Amino acid sequence: MTEGTDEAGVASAAVDGEPSDDVVVCSDVTKTYDGARTVVALEDVSLSLSSGSYTAVMGPSGSGKSTLLNLVGGLDTPTAGTVAVDGRDLATLSEAQRARHRGETVGFVFQTFNLMPRLTAAENVALPLVFLGRDRKERGTRAEELLADVGLADRADHLPAELSGGQRQRVAIARALVADPALLLADEPTGNVDTGTGDRIMAEFDTLHEAGNTVLLVTHERRIAERAERIVHVRDGRVREVESV
Amino acid sequence: MDASETLRLSVRSLRAHKLRATLTVLGVVIGIAAVVTFATFGASLEADVVSEIEGSSANEIYLVPAAEEEGGFPDAGQPVFTEYDLEQLRAVAGVERVVPRGIVQVTALTAGEETVARNRVTVTEASAFEAATFADGRAFRDGRQEAVLNCPAAALFAGNLSAGDRLTVTLQSGERENVTVAGVVDGTGGQLPFSAFSDRPRVFLPADPFSRTVVESPTVGVNQRVCPQVTVVADPSQTTAVQDRVEGYVTSERSDAARLRPAGYEIRARTNADLVDRIERVVERLTRFVTGIAVIALVVGAVGIANIMLVSVTERTREIGIMKAVGARNRDVMGLFLVEAVLLGALGALVGVPLGVAGGWVATRYAEIGLVLAPGWFAVAVVVGVGVGAVAGLYPAWRAARVDPIEALRYE
Repeated sequence: MTEGTDEAGVASAAVDGEPSDDVVVCSDVTKTYDGARTVVALEDVSLSLSSGSYTAVMGPSGSGKSTLLNLVGGLDTPTAGTVAVDGRDLATLSEAQRARHRGETVGFVFQTFNLMPRLTAAENVALPLVFLGRDRKERGTRAEELLADVGLADRADHLPAELSGGQRQRVAIARALVADPALLLADEPTGNVDTGTGDRIMAEFDTLHEAGNTVLLVTHERRIAERAERIVHVRDGRVREVESV
Repeated sequence: MDASETLRLSVRSLRAHKLRATLTVLGVVIGIAAVVTFATFGASLEADVVSEIEGSSANEIYLVPAAEEEGGFPDAGQPVFTEYDLEQLRAVAGVERVVPRGIVQVTALTAGEETVARNRVTVTEASAFEAATFADGRAFRDGRQEAVLNCPAAALFAGNLSAGDRLTVTLQSGERENVTVAGVVDGTGGQLPFSAFSDRPRVFLPADPFSRTVVESPTVGVNQRVCPQVTVVADPSQTTAVQDRVEGYVTSERSDAARLRPAGYEIRARTNADLVDRIERVVERLTRFVTGIAVIALVVGAVGIANIMLVSVTERTREIGIMKAVGARNRDVMGLFLVEAVLLGALGALVGVPLGVAGGWVATRYAEIGLVLAPGWFAVAVVVGVGVGAVAGLYPAWRAARVDPIEALRYE
């Protein structure tokens, strides 16, 4: 964000009142779910992520950390407060714009990989570009590049079922990066793989961070969270502590 | 998301469940094939009947008694036209020729050693053959012991009868009449309605002397020969006017026909165009009715598509969640499912149309009529197939589009 600093600064100033190069600004975010009884998932959470930062959100299950990720990712909308990503308040976006946000501005990595079972590794990686309307040639080149980056160049034509858990997660990481997003979101990315594989996946995130990517990681494991620059502790829907590593 | 990509992804999900897709398509195939079969058969039947009537020329007016009620069919068994009527009709302005026609019940035809069972022969006048082509010989002469056969009738006998051969006609009374074959008439042209010279065997005898039905003419008070049908050949430039005049005469009390007609009957004057019109209307109504029944099969096919698409949406909830998480808009998801449903319908139409034509072909073979394709119906079938898919897929696709991605990603 070297050239666009001023513009981005103005945009985020509208949200938090001071110029910054923050990629994510959450202000007093509350999220409740109405059911038989109202469940408060997040309450008055404020959090900013600067460009190129590496943040881990840590907390026990049910603490609201995944909800936070879904809000930033544009999969969900807050009940109160604002979530701005790349200077844009997500609440003001239409359904189609939020879809574009999910495909272009953020990249998701899930615990359960969430690959399309009938698409090959390369097709899975290229999928966000399909919805962004990029042409087939560009998609092919881009998928090839990213699969090579995660060391799976030779697995491009394999279906997810033909890959190991670690390989699947690396395909998912490649997919998250394919549209060159401003922000990488990871929800327990090592939750479904063994420790050794988990370490290799976390090494992948380290590399991405070093390359300048902004990373927001959700985990319940301290060992994983410690790889980030700072740890945001969340419990019962509130931010309890922000710890620098 | 561009259209080709939508199509590619849809095809891929269909191929993932080949048997399921095939069975769903089969439902549509049966529906479309049934519609096309009946439409083709209807068109063929109509064309067959119409071509038979249209074979003769347009300036002929047929007079025949018919039951009065709406759509009552002509009854060629009611002899009402006397010789007096024929004379009067010949005197109507614009009338070129008047040809009476009737039927004589017989039991058999004998030529040489060979006897063939027949139950009726046609009696008419020599003028009936004025426009006919003869394969052999000439028309009979009125008042003579002569006969004209059409080719199929000549072929009833070994070695084919030809002009000059002797033929014995056994009447229902047991009387035997010896006649000479004057000629063998060819083709389907001629002056009598319902293609008198067509592909079924016909034997023609002169009304004089073979028509034995006589009645006292109410107008002139003497016994006269009567016949049940009359063909009036009009000056081609004034067929309609002549039709009106002729009808005016036969329906007025001035004619013997109007006075001799049985209660509940009226005398009609119809041209070929009228006949073609009526028959077309009847056949069309029948075709539409039967095709309508076939449409039920198509509806069942549509229900099949809707059903399978709903199952598919449920099964692929998680995939929908994934697609949404990586940037699919609601309309992208909706498009995918809609295209799948339309593909099922279109595939059904593409297979159903040729199958339906084959079915129509078999039906026309069975009914011994020529096959006439109704290409308009093919287009309708394809459009309906696609439409059925679209309509059946609309609700499932809408459901898919509304899937909440967070819920969907949690879905196992």
